[in-house]
Amino acid sequence: MRVDTGRKTLTERSRMFATLERLDHETPLLAERAAQVSGGLQEPAVDWRVMSDSTDQALQPDQAQDPRAQFEEQALPFMDQLYAAAMRMTRNPADAADLVQETFVKAFASWRTFTQGTNLKAWLYRILTNTYINTYRKKQREPYQGTIDDLEDWQLGGAESTTATSTRSAEAEAIDHMPASVVKDALQSIPEDFRLAVYLADVEGFAYQEIADIMKTPIGTVMSRLHRGRRMLRELLADYAKERGITPAATRSTK
Amino acid sequence: MTDCGCEKARRDLEEYLRHEVCKTKQSDIAEHLEHCAGCRDEALVARTLTEVLARACKESAPEELRDQVLAKLRAVQAAH
Repeated sequence: MRVDTGRKTLTERSRMFATLERLDHETPLLAERAAQVSGGLQEPAVDWRVMSDSTDQALQPDQAQDPRAQFEEQALPFMDQLYAAAMRMTRNPADAADLVQETFVKAFASWRTFTQGTNLKAWLYRILTNTYINTYRKKQREPYQGTIDDLEDWQLGGAESTTATSTRSAEAEAIDHMPASVVKDALQSIPEDFRLAVYLADVEGFAYQEIADIMKTPIGTVMSRLHRGRRMLRELLADYAKERGITPAATRSTK
Repeated sequence: MTDCGCEKARRDLEEYLRHEVCKTKQSDIAEHLEHCAGCRDEALVARTLTEVLARACKESAPEELRDQVLAKLRAVQAAH
């Protein structure tokens, strides 16, 4: 779907970049506060949430003294997830690998600003998204899509009345049996801002507020992108299912 | 608990399923879903879509990427 980016594009874009730019240098105050927390020594935990160790390395001789070792231990387990997200962003393995590598390098460079005990996964996703927008999206053939939040529902196509109530359970079943490649293609074909919102919510399970922080948009925008993105996906999957004769060919409303 | 009716249930279904703040009380939506097969199906479609997306998007990073990242981090640190 092509979208006329209109006048808003530049302001919207510069605002987005400006806010994303800040990501790498934030929360020194929080870091200080965390340093005051005198957590007892803990075994390396899989769930970073339970880690409340002080960031003051000098006072914690038994802890991983090397920031790199600490970073590797905590951040690298997110590699598969970040790679999967990068695949959906860049759409190809080579760029996805580059993006992930760049994300880790940037994250490591800012590691001292990360506050132990806060949401490491969200922090890494912010850097990933930031890096993607600033580097990869620029060089991809697809121009920046601007803000599509202003589009009316009819311009996006709505699935509200796509199927009659009686066939909804059939729709669920059809979706459930959809090949992964079809689902990924469908996701890939919806506008990027919608795709990211859907990905972060449905695949990563981020809460609305976390997605708002990652995408630097108000929470209402996150909700709207998520709802519309999901509706578009349903429509695409319903079309696919109908073509393949997976669902009863009935009740599709005409617009 | 009061049944919130189809309109509110549909409008706030996503938020309800994600345990996000929504305008309609969670218990009222739950009550409605108990009595309305149509909205239950709608909820099933919504949940299925989430599950299928999560399932379809699973990827493993290539093994060589892990090595590249490790090497890169070491190089960055050595440069300081």
